[in-house]
Amino acid sequence: MQTVIVILGWTALAVLLARAMQPVADSTAPQAMPFLGGGTPDTHAWQRYHFRPYSMALLFVAFEMEMMFMYPWAVVFVSEGIKALAEMGMFLAILSVGILYGWREGIFRWQ
Amino acid sequence: MAMTRLARWAARSPAPVFAAIGPGRQAETERLLARPGLRRAATPRDAAILLVAGDLPGDTAEALSHVHDQLPHPRATLRWQADAPDAIAARIETAWRDICAGERDEDDHLPDEPPNAWKGIGPHGQGGKGMMGGTPYGRPMAMTGTDIRDGLRLDRYTARFGPFLPMLPPGLVLQVTLQGDVICDLDVQAPPLAQAADADAPDLCAARMLRLLGLDRAAHRVMHGQSARALWLRGAVPKRIGRIDGTSARDRLIAWLAGDTVSVAPPDLPALLHGAEWAEAMLILASLPPSALIRAARGVEAA
Repeated sequence: MQTVIVILGWTALAVLLARAMQPVADSTAPQAMPFLGGGTPDTHAWQRYHFRPYSMALLFVAFEMEMMFMYPWAVVFVSEGIKALAEMGMFLAILSVGILYGWREGIFRWQ
Repeated sequence: MAMTRLARWAARSPAPVFAAIGPGRQAETERLLARPGLRRAATPRDAAILLVAGDLPGDTAEALSHVHDQLPHPRATLRWQADAPDAIAARIETAWRDICAGERDEDDHLPDEPPNAWKGIGPHGQGGKGMMGGTPYGRPMAMTGTDIRDGLRLDRYTARFGPFLPMLPPGLVLQVTLQGDVICDLDVQAPPLAQAADADAPDLCAARMLRLLGLDRAAHRVMHGQSARALWLRGAVPKRIGRIDGTSARDRLIAWLAGDTVSVAPPDLPALLHGAEWAEAMLILASLPPSALIRAARGVEAA
């Protein structure tokens, strides 16, 4: 019962806080325009652009995760034996899909 | 109306001013905004006072209305014609006190309606096919074109920047097509307003570049005749950008910081900025003395 009260209490508090901090969209049409020093845009500001660090971040995460799980894996490898080897093999196979994708995108072509 | 303690406290802070600068008033206005008690606001959203310096040409009236309406309430417009800098500074401080006391405000100049009506393709105006199409709040969505950097098809965003954009010289209107932050098309629609030779003063030019680099305090010191006192300043400007007549943007900044006037031949602006990233392009423009920019932009228009 106590748990339910705590959960409900926290939920109510979170909702109240969110309502209190809700931004008020009361800007007029000129204020809602992007600031271009008096100029006007032709198109909507919502657009797709290339997030260039994306492929580098992908490569970093792939190798980082590999290292993170290989340390504890190395500790239990001797006692677990072939089962641990198979599990790590599957894990590495999944990660290497990301690396292959990055390869196709040209991460390894240094300029 | 009696001022509350909070309002009195706010009134003691520097007055946030956004300046719309007219012909021949650039140097004067920049020196005015470097005074203690005034703060140069980066955008109208950050300002309470719109300072209109000098006589603006008639074709900038609509742009000025846009800037005016983008100031949040309460706000005030001050016209600066022939007052001495001390007098206008005093007027700004009075206006700021009145604003903080809630005694002064101005209505919008433009009607409070979107530039075009909401229009979409679907039955509820919800848009077009897939991620494209429809005209939410009066403007079409950006459409794809081939990127000039690596050939990806990315959205092209076209807008007119200026005439009162703080990082551009006053009066300059550029129609820029951006893909992400890369400039793929640039057209000079209006040249900067004519400025006197004092706008080329080394401290003002250096301060413009430093402000663009985010070194506001250093810019302030330079304008008050001190050294910039910023660590490895030259490293903040990329080495090879804005190369004209054998001097790069970095060389010109170093010359200005040493107190030398820089003169360059008017460059071909579209060729200079084509393919540059937005931040880089603004740095290149700030690294040109106003006189060279004015001649360059006029040349483009005449051609």
